[in-house]
Amino acid sequence: MFSLFFGLYKYLFSKTEFHVLIIGIDKAGKTTLLEKLKSIYSNLEGLPPDRIVPTVGLNIGRIEASNTKLVFWDLGGQPGLRSIWEKYYEEAHAVIFVVDAACPSRFEDSKSALEKVLRHEDLQGAPLLILGNKQDLSDAVSAEELARYLALKKLDERVYVFEAVSAYDGMGIKESIEWLVDVMERSKRTEMLRARSGAIPGYM
Amino acid sequence: MGLLFSRMFASLFGNQEARILVLGLDNAGKTTILYRLQMGEVVSTIPTIGFNVETVQYNNIKFQVWDLGGQTSIRPYWRCYFPNTQAIIYVVDSSDTDRLVIAKDEFHAILEEEELKGAVVLIFANKQDLPGAIDDAAVTEALELHKIKNRQWAIFKTSAVKGEGLFEGLDWLSNTLKSGGG
Repeated sequence: MFSLFFGLYKYLFSKTEFHVLIIGIDKAGKTTLLEKLKSIYSNLEGLPPDRIVPTVGLNIGRIEASNTKLVFWDLGGQPGLRSIWEKYYEEAHAVIFVVDAACPSRFEDSKSALEKVLRHEDLQGAPLLILGNKQDLSDAVSAEELARYLALKKLDERVYVFEAVSAYDGMGIKESIEWLVDVMERSKRTEMLRARSGAIPGYM
Repeated sequence: MGLLFSRMFASLFGNQEARILVLGLDNAGKTTILYRLQMGEVVSTIPTIGFNVETVQYNNIKFQVWDLGGQTSIRPYWRCYFPNTQAIIYVVDSSDTDRLVIAKDEFHAILEEEELKGAVVLIFANKQDLPGAIDDAAVTEALELHKIKNRQWAIFKTSAVKGEGLFEGLDWLSNTLKSGGG
């Protein structure tokens, strides 16, 4: 009897856990972003940017923002490692795609990597947050300019936004995460993932 | 090198006892790696139950090594070595492509262990000096590392005999444990 009520209690009050992928080409600043998220939203300090080395695998960050549990999967972006991204798509609620906004010579590489991500059927309906990172550098382009450079097609049905951020000093990050949580809570994909994981949210 | 390592791991766990398991099939290069790190004397013990465990005590961190695969009857005894394990270093012979499937199965079986759920995983794609060794991306694929979703992992190409790649991997490990682990 107790377990029944406990189950109901958990059903009503437990927080959903969202899985968010952080991807993008190498040197975009994904792990710096992850560490910044940890230091903004949790009591963990997060690694300082000068201690961060290229990721060759998976980094994980767990935080709570806007009363929601978020699990970030930060995957390595070197060409040989990108084949692993798609293995994580199926369970992801949303995608953060990080671009080095101060390095136009690699926009083309970002564009083709992102287009490949968007074509993948396992990511259908996943909200997309595209970050023009490294705004702390003087030659970084704005979110609007980045959107023009990437000129993404076939985005019509996907919820997405371009934001200008600096994972180094934290600029724009809180606003971006707020947006992300908000759209994830209302997205059809969240409903779909919830249904697939066994009907009652949070009751496991 | 030994000095660099000691600076890296000094005070990482405070005064707490910590354990790092170094696992892999036989002949993967695990003991060679321990010797390369020059942390202290490798002590080999064969408990009465009959499997060989090598231990290096480094400050308050115990590095313990044994071979996976082989006899299944002794496996329950492995659990004696699981508590307080912060990390698993999994060593693979990248040139022994015939046994990669076994290496994969053993790897995922050990990750299932309840007491190791919180441990982060560092993979050494070892023996890169040998002809026919496959690279880190291929080892990632062969070991199906993408199935790991609840803990942090990283893979490094290493050559234990040449001493290459080991410290990059351990640097990752110490950073990861410092920033909160899995």
